[in-house]
Amino acid sequence: MSGFLAAHGYDPGPTQRPFTSGAIAGLLATPPAIFLLHLLGSLAVEARILGLSVIVTIVAGCLVMGVAGALYARLLGRAANDVRGGWLFGMAFAFALWAAGAVFVLPLVGNGELPAGRGATGVFLSLVLWGGCLGALLPFVHRRIHLNLDQPGLAENLGPSLAARSPSKQ
Amino acid sequence: MIRIVSLPKAAVAGVCGALAWTAVLGGLQFLGLPSFDIVKELGTLAFAPDEPLRWGAVGLAAHAFVGICWALVYAYFFWSRVTWPPALQGLAFSIVPAILALFIVNPQFALMHLHRDAVPLTWETVLPSISLAQLGGLLLGHVIYGLAVGAIYTRPVGYGAEREGSVPHLPRRAANKPPRDRRQAGRGFMFATGIECSYPTIEHGRWRRDEMAATRHYARWQDDFELALDIGITHIRYGTPLHLIFKGPGSYDWGFIDEALAYLHDHGPEPIVDLCHFGVPTWLGDFQNPEIANALAEYAAAFAARFPWVRFYTPVNEMYVCARMSALDGTWNEQRRDERAFAAAAFNLAQASIAMTGAILAVRADAIFVNSESSEFCQACCPDPEIQRIARFENERRFLPLDLIYGHPISDGMRMHLRDHGIADADIAGVMAHNVPIRSIIGVDYYEWNERLIDSDGHPRALGELFGWYVIASQYYDRYQRPMMHTETNRMDASDGPRWLWRQWHNVQLLRSAGVPLVGFTWYSLTDQVDWDIGLSRAVGNVDPVGLADLNRDIRAVGLTYRRLIEMHQDQPGYRDCPALARLLAS
Repeated sequence: MSGFLAAHGYDPGPTQRPFTSGAIAGLLATPPAIFLLHLLGSLAVEARILGLSVIVTIVAGCLVMGVAGALYARLLGRAANDVRGGWLFGMAFAFALWAAGAVFVLPLVGNGELPAGRGATGVFLSLVLWGGCLGALLPFVHRRIHLNLDQPGLAENLGPSLAARSPSKQ
Repeated sequence: MIRIVSLPKAAVAGVCGALAWTAVLGGLQFLGLPSFDIVKELGTLAFAPDEPLRWGAVGLAAHAFVGICWALVYAYFFWSRVTWPPALQGLAFSIVPAILALFIVNPQFALMHLHRDAVPLTWETVLPSISLAQLGGLLLGHVIYGLAVGAIYTRPVGYGAEREGSVPHLPRRAANKPPRDRRQAGRGFMFATGIECSYPTIEHGRWRRDEMAATRHYARWQDDFELALDIGITHIRYGTPLHLIFKGPGSYDWGFIDEALAYLHDHGPEPIVDLCHFGVPTWLGDFQNPEIANALAEYAAAFAARFPWVRFYTPVNEMYVCARMSALDGTWNEQRRDERAFAAAAFNLAQASIAMTGAILAVRADAIFVNSESSEFCQACCPDPEIQRIARFENERRFLPLDLIYGHPISDGMRMHLRDHGIADADIAGVMAHNVPIRSIIGVDYYEWNERLIDSDGHPRALGELFGWYVIASQYYDRYQRPMMHTETNRMDASDGPRWLWRQWHNVQLLRSAGVPLVGFTWYSLTDQVDWDIGLSRAVGNVDPVGLADLNRDIRAVGLTYRRLIEMHQDQPGYRDCPALARLLAS
């Protein structure tokens, strides 16, 4: 699996901040998803399963989605950082996450119940919406928080003495 | 390996896969066979079962959406990981969604149909019983989907050679760079990069590789030039897309090239225009066509007349590599594998270079030519006379195109070889009977695979950096005695790029200190390239992380290193005013 994931990023460039940009994009993508959850009645269901108030559920959701966004940006690298197709890739990522069983997190950390009916539909649709928003936002957030090329110390370890370094392993 | 993904192709493949599933299983149901109706399953989540039109439309759309999602996962993560036929790759991939459908997706959909908002997590709720017909339908559906997606999602880069369109007309944004300082232009050492632009055909002329399209230069040309300026690049090797511009005799479609070159004129970096880079327009066929010299001379003349301010030209890039890959290794263009075809291609390419040079000089008499060629060297593994002969022959063959354009005497052995393969002495004499422009620079490219060992079976094996650029480039200098430039290098392992850059740079400095008139250095290319790890032989879409920046135009460590190198040297004596270049310009 690590090979599959590594296929999409390589190490981030020296001016990139994938964790931060992913976390910010993940947070920014959460309000529309929460709105949809609320619209379909799933927010209350989630709160009940988790044994939390709706407000605390929203806060917890934001935190989890921020972390998920950071991992998304770091693990999927260039594939995630795509202005044209990021939204579609984000939706596909969220769908795959759901299909891989993300929904089982709720009963495992909550009261042991799974969303069903409209509640389950809402969870699914809001996750896909979150993925679409995350994918669409990430490239723009990423551009905004790039390090500047003139940042002091950026090229500190890239001087001529590198020529004497042993070649890295392929 | 990062892949270029064709989103439209993946979306079409996903929709077609979903539709094929629906059609086949719908057909089975129509015939009265029990099956699994995924469209109804999805559609009735939104509409009642007695509203078939509504749930049918919603169900079909939802199924198509799911199809697209999985096709994207396939395109990013699975496509071309094995060399099986495409449909079988798709079939193998479909095991993943089939398993997830069985154990997660389908049970989740079943939960969504309940009229309750939560259920306890038990084995019965997460794995409801499934009939044999449902199971068979699900598996058959995924088989059909996988086969369809695999068969449709192929060749994410390039396009059909017969469907070659026009060069995009992209407007220029307001520039955020100052005008080029013309007082400095042309005298300093050339700190160069290039825009990778190869455009050979593969699949016997049916499929066009187009690196500018694959790396999105057509869409991001201005970003690319601005990035190059940010790094401190003074010159840029720039191969305008001959196959899209030159539509036929006297017919040109310049597209965005007018805007792009106007930008380079106004802001820099100064272009070294590369007119023929591993391919010709479809109407010209391939490098076996003896007419390419005249045709490309016409193109060169038209280019020089349209952009009279351009001073640096590479008429034909890496003639030896082009002839070898097209006519000896069977990879590009004519895809031949015989010595006769190689001799014809090398001869035609050299003729084209000479004719283009003449055509450019007729328009701009002070043009400067950077004849870029791949540095090659073969080392015999052992004293076996046959192995020694192969190494000697290959070490002679590498010079053939440059010998022809520089009028360097061809060895008796090579002359005999050419004679045996259809090139008469008179033809050689005819090609070599021209005045070589004084303002010619030998561009010597160097990669880690340029040095080869001829093993005991007579086969070449990559040696890595054994003797290094200094030694190989010296051989080219000793032969031609012309000013030189390091015109290409990079490293496939991005993490080793900075080390490789400095080592190449130290080679350049050593050659300069040995008295060789060196005028420039190039890290090639500005951005990552696509499919060069397989020599552009198949349209896979592998991204090779060799660029100063990645394909999102985010700078790599080697880009920062090059920036530092340029800052360190550009104002030093001998670099700010490069004596070798000054002498060339004064000649």
